[in-house]
Amino acid sequence: MSFLTAPDFGQGLPLASDTQVAEPEVSETPETDLPWIVLVWNDPINLMSYVSFVFQKLFGYSKEKADLLMLDVHEKGRAVVSSGSREHAEIDVFRLHEHGLWATMQKDS
Amino acid sequence: MRKRKKAGPVESLGDGAFRINLSEDERETMLRFVDQLEEVLTAEHTDPRLRRLFPTAYHEDPDLDAEYQGYMRDELSQSRASSIATVREILGSENPIAESQLYAFMMVLNSLRLVLGTLLGVSEDEDTDDIEEDDPSFGQAQLYGYLGWLLEWTVDTLSNG
Repeated sequence: MSFLTAPDFGQGLPLASDTQVAEPEVSETPETDLPWIVLVWNDPINLMSYVSFVFQKLFGYSKEKADLLMLDVHEKGRAVVSSGSREHAEIDVFRLHEHGLWATMQKDS
Repeated sequence: MRKRKKAGPVESLGDGAFRINLSEDERETMLRFVDQLEEVLTAEHTDPRLRRLFPTAYHEDPDLDAEYQGYMRDELSQSRASSIATVREILGSENPIAESQLYAFMMVLNSLRLVLGTLLGVSEDEDTDDIEEDDPSFGQAQLYGYLGWLLEWTVDTLSNG
């Protein structure tokens, strides 16, 4: 029997697109001038120690800084973990997804 | 959870070497779960079990997200397949392993937890500890707890090793 099957997904986690996120403000600034920010969203599955460890590994943050960031995610629902060009943000998002963290990116506003 | 370093399931041997102290049975069981994870990874993109393994990147822009998924999804799948291959290798022997191999083990444990947690509907107010023995998902809940315990040890060992 497989442990990774179930017929009912009634309680599944929301997709990022399901969440209520404030509409971004329409800006007149040329798009390319805006830096991008990478957000990590709180989720009930990832272990706190794991999330902090991933922040240390991926961004070279100290344990203290990584712990604070992880607690920020946990308590406020999300936190900005990095920022930069769109390409840079995409790489960070990819690495976070690789580690199973719920990361998204958006233009800083 | 008791944290007796010497008796732990994951151990640092010093000089960048580590050992996974699982019995033959536990290794066999883990290998079966790894097979199942591999199977889940080949499921349709819309399969709900995959939603945590392949999350949205651009939550405000579906078009940009579709574009991103178009060129990143395969790479993400390949990365997972590579970690799974490493884990198969290290579970097949009791030899000491390198940090990078233990890191792959950590990633695979976490992927398994994400799939199971999604199936179990784990949320801030829904704890798997509440699942009773006669519940059909009791086995999954037990496994979820076991993987969490193993992952905690792995993270702890990698952090201090």
